[in-house]
Amino acid sequence: MSTATETITAKEKGSLFGSRMREAGWGYAFVLLPMAVFGLFFIYPLVYGIYISFFDWGIFGKVKGVGTANYHTLWHDPIFRRSVRNIIEATLVVVPLEMALGLLIALVINAKIRGRYFFRSAFYFPSLVSSAAITAIAIYILNADGLLNHIIGGHRSWFGDPTTALWSIVGLNAWTTAGTVMLFYLAALQAIPTDVYEAAALDGTGTWRTFWRITFPLLKPAHFFVLVVFGIGALKLFDQSFIVSGGTGGPVYSTYTPVLYIYNTAFKSFQFGLAASAGVVMFVAIFLLTLIQRATVGRSEIR
Amino acid sequence: MRRAFAASVALVSLALFAVVIVASTAQARSSATKATTVTLSGWSAGKDEDDLLQSVVNTFNATHPSIHVDYSVINGDYPTAMTARFAAHNPPDVFYVDSSVAPAWAKQGVLQPLNSYIKKSKYDISKFYPGLLNAFKFGKNYYGFPKDWSPLATEINSAMFAKAGIRTPPRTWAQLAADAQKLASSNAVPGGKPICLPPDWARMLAFIFQNKGSLANVQSPAVTQAVNFYVGLLKRGLAATPTQLGVGWPGEALGKEKAAIIFEGNWLLPYMKSTFPQVHYGVAPMVKGKVNGNLGFTVSYSLAKDSKNKQAAWTLLSWLAGKKGMTLWMSKGLALPSRTDVKAIGGRKPFLVSGPFSHGWGFPNFSATITIMNNDLQAVINGSMTTAQMLSDVSKSLKG
Repeated sequence: MSTATETITAKEKGSLFGSRMREAGWGYAFVLLPMAVFGLFFIYPLVYGIYISFFDWGIFGKVKGVGTANYHTLWHDPIFRRSVRNIIEATLVVVPLEMALGLLIALVINAKIRGRYFFRSAFYFPSLVSSAAITAIAIYILNADGLLNHIIGGHRSWFGDPTTALWSIVGLNAWTTAGTVMLFYLAALQAIPTDVYEAAALDGTGTWRTFWRITFPLLKPAHFFVLVVFGIGALKLFDQSFIVSGGTGGPVYSTYTPVLYIYNTAFKSFQFGLAASAGVVMFVAIFLLTLIQRATVGRSEIR
Repeated sequence: MRRAFAASVALVSLALFAVVIVASTAQARSSATKATTVTLSGWSAGKDEDDLLQSVVNTFNATHPSIHVDYSVINGDYPTAMTARFAAHNPPDVFYVDSSVAPAWAKQGVLQPLNSYIKKSKYDISKFYPGLLNAFKFGKNYYGFPKDWSPLATEINSAMFAKAGIRTPPRTWAQLAADAQKLASSNAVPGGKPICLPPDWARMLAFIFQNKGSLANVQSPAVTQAVNFYVGLLKRGLAATPTQLGVGWPGEALGKEKAAIIFEGNWLLPYMKSTFPQVHYGVAPMVKGKVNGNLGFTVSYSLAKDSKNKQAAWTLLSWLAGKKGMTLWMSKGLALPSRTDVKAIGGRKPFLVSGPFSHGWGFPNFSATITIMNNDLQAVINGSMTTAQMLSDVSKSLKG
């Protein structure tokens, strides 16, 4: 037994190829478990979800094959269309808002001001609290008799009015997420070498110009990262609209999102095939968007 | 050395395995001769209810030595949790089914039709209120028996009515509108509105039935008229939605004295007692239109298609929904009996009078349709959609 092992080891030591193979073997051994988990919980459900989307699929599984009928139904469903419109509008507003807020806070905290550690924690704090808890509290604050109306002297139910419900969620999300965005920008800011600032200072460049010409362009990798990660996050909006509307996507469909559509179609109507097709559409859309972002914003990162 | 260690580990595990096998077969043998285990599940509607059901189950166990009932509460999102159990072919034998989800579950084939059991044991189903029993009947099949229920009633704030000089609660649509007018003109509801009406078909449908309308013919003039009456109360400023009043639901509006009239069920009573004990209110039967009409919010005991002990499960189900089981279940007044031969505790008459004309709350394609119903109703209330458009959407969805 032990002699055999020794023989192999001796042979491996002899060639560079053998030692490389052994190293690669160890590498694969280390990634085996994470890859197995990834395969089981991500790849397999993804492929299976695509498969399900071509069937009429109930609680007990396959009912019958329907070809692309689920996609056809989806395309003609006014609620799904409305949910897509809602999420596009919300994402187009919330992501720039999160980025602007996050960057602003990061810049403030990166400056050598008194108590910046306190502010860093304070700004990050909303990101730590569960969104369900924050939303539940926001329902009270934004209610017709709530705190916000007491302050501004109005009587609007922010979540109850179809013209403001989605934007209230957008505002809420921008506030809670800005702390996390701040962390990424802060790390990127601290990675910028100080000599470029020294050079700019020697040339007598003003603060404003320094920011737009030096800091902002050098943050491009961070911009790309935040845009992709938080863009995807925004497209997956579910919990806030679920809690605010009680799962109905109301008032007047204004908070209906594609993920809420998937949830309701699967777990309330038990039309798993249709829900899976909506999931596939979401996956393709997010995947394409990421590719586009990579091709545009991401490329300049390499240059 | 190593080999000896490995051998001893193998020996010990083998021994442990043998012990487990022997123990489990012994247990299986003893339970086979003792009793068939039947599992019973539902959601939790509070500790009082959980405890009460456990004591009802204890009585069953004591009187049925051949069956042992294992009752457990399913926490969280009940339909989702049950869907997972159904899909795994491992559901509880007997469980709660809300009337709103019953059509979908029956269609999915997860519920066992009870017809053959009813026939075989000559079970008398005539004691159930027909409207409630029919909420669990699809085609010719019965998929469950209503375990309890509640209709809507008219609840009024007594002090506000006195201030407006109104002696009795409204009985008809005309009286409702007139009383609301009086409450408004006498400023009896400061900071609120006379009536609180939610933008919810789970309230408005009762008014539709009162106008001889129905979901079978949802684009009829009768339905349009009822919708216009309901929405009209809001548009005329005689009523407000909970959102407009800054509350979560009409019960809270009554409790916070922001509305003098609401239409809620038996669930309002414990809520008012615990949350707003200082508010004096009266409960009267649901208002009537051309005819009496009401909704019955009901839950059944149903049997799983995948149950492995259907006969024993049927024994439990038929006993729980029977006269004996339901009488015990009613002992604390937490719910109303769905059988005519079981008495409710005192003070529930305004609810019980609706028994003969209450329609179970549920319809085909429920989840998608209720989403369209309530979102469209909000649009009709804020004026961005016509009643006809809403009814056309609803009609399409009911068929879908």
